[in-house]
Amino acid sequence: MNLIDRYVAEVGRSLLLIKGRKDIENELRSTLEDMLEERAQKAGKPADEAMQMEMLKEYGAPHKVAETYNPNPYLIGPRVFPFFMFILKIVIAAVTLGLTIATGIQIMNLSPMTAMELLSTIGKGLLNIISASIAAFGNLALIFALIERYAPASEFKMDEEKEWDPASLKKEPEPDDVKIWEPILAIVFTFIALSIFNFNPQLIGIYYLDGNEWHVLPVLSEAFFRWLPLMNIGWVAEIVLNGMLLRAGKWTTSTRLFSIGTKLFQIFILAMLISGPSILAFTAESLTKGGITDPEAVNILMLLAKQGMKFILGLAIFGTVIEVIKSAYKMVTQK
Amino acid sequence: MANTESLENVVLELRRGVIVLAALSQLGSEEYGYSLLKKLANLGMEVDQGTLYPLLRRLEAQGLLASVWKLEEARPRRYYVISAEGKKLLPKLKKEWAGIVSVMDKMLS
Repeated sequence: MNLIDRYVAEVGRSLLLIKGRKDIENELRSTLEDMLEERAQKAGKPADEAMQMEMLKEYGAPHKVAETYNPNPYLIGPRVFPFFMFILKIVIAAVTLGLTIATGIQIMNLSPMTAMELLSTIGKGLLNIISASIAAFGNLALIFALIERYAPASEFKMDEEKEWDPASLKKEPEPDDVKIWEPILAIVFTFIALSIFNFNPQLIGIYYLDGNEWHVLPVLSEAFFRWLPLMNIGWVAEIVLNGMLLRAGKWTTSTRLFSIGTKLFQIFILAMLISGPSILAFTAESLTKGGITDPEAVNILMLLAKQGMKFILGLAIFGTVIEVIKSAYKMVTQK
Repeated sequence: MANTESLENVVLELRRGVIVLAALSQLGSEEYGYSLLKKLANLGMEVDQGTLYPLLRRLEAQGLLASVWKLEEARPRRYYVISAEGKKLLPKLKKEWAGIVSVMDKMLS
């Protein structure tokens, strides 16, 4: 076997999966022999090994030569890439949503738990979401790589075929469209709130270090937890609403009405919390026990805490009222 | 540094489209890969072999070229020639090219 044959065989090995490999090999051999012959003529002597080596070096590394014959130098080409991205987004969103709900259920089942347990469960949930997303990405990439290679081009015309109508620009900047992440985030956080307030209320408090031990000073009183069943209804309604938004992909009159109803309900609860007995669990005595001995400081702290809580609740009511007004306005102006 | 790189890229892009037209125009009579390469070089267009040979195969797959293996001088060679479809396309490509040249001439002069 001379050097040219070896070189051609080497290129052929890199062409294993490419159609017409034998043909490419034969053509390459014939070309190289022509080139060698020409060089020998120019040099005025028969071709020798040094001449072959020089020529092959110029022609380039076998795998690089093979690459130039590859009609598909990418895993997922421009033809199927938009479709790949479309499916990928849906799959990642579904994986995130599913695992978040699963983690929420797990937290409820394991409750009551300590702050560390809660954090580690949430951390594990996040890790699960990340690893499941990576796995989903890998599987999808594999499937699309196969589609790229084996599906006929005619199967993937996607958007190019549909005639785009510039008139679609004239439509409203779609105030009714729902960004997919908003309901997902809302569901995630509502789930977290539900599981903490219902199953791990001991976690809500002021954490302080006493010596080497962490202590929790509960912040919320009986007066707060009395309203919990109603709050749960509000939160569940919130989850249902966001689930509906996720499915429909846009706001409709019925979802807006539902949203306004839920918000009014939440305003009612907030108003009850503000006007009822203090929802703060700590009292002047518990603060003194906690180590603050100066009676003046205790008084100031209590006042600050009470006013602060009222301020926060007031702010929440204000924000929710604005939301209601926005929803109502959009509902009226909706086409 | 970055400038030479982008210059090279632009030149590469410019030539890529032109090579198809050059090859089609020179394949009115049969040529094998290496002889076409030299023919183009003699006319002033140096084309990399890694570009030209795969391109010939692609044009054949698209039906614009036909090819046949011939045994001569004890060595088989693959000869390419423009196909009937290629002949129909060539005048249109030439017209496009003339249009581009005249527009660019106007712009650049």
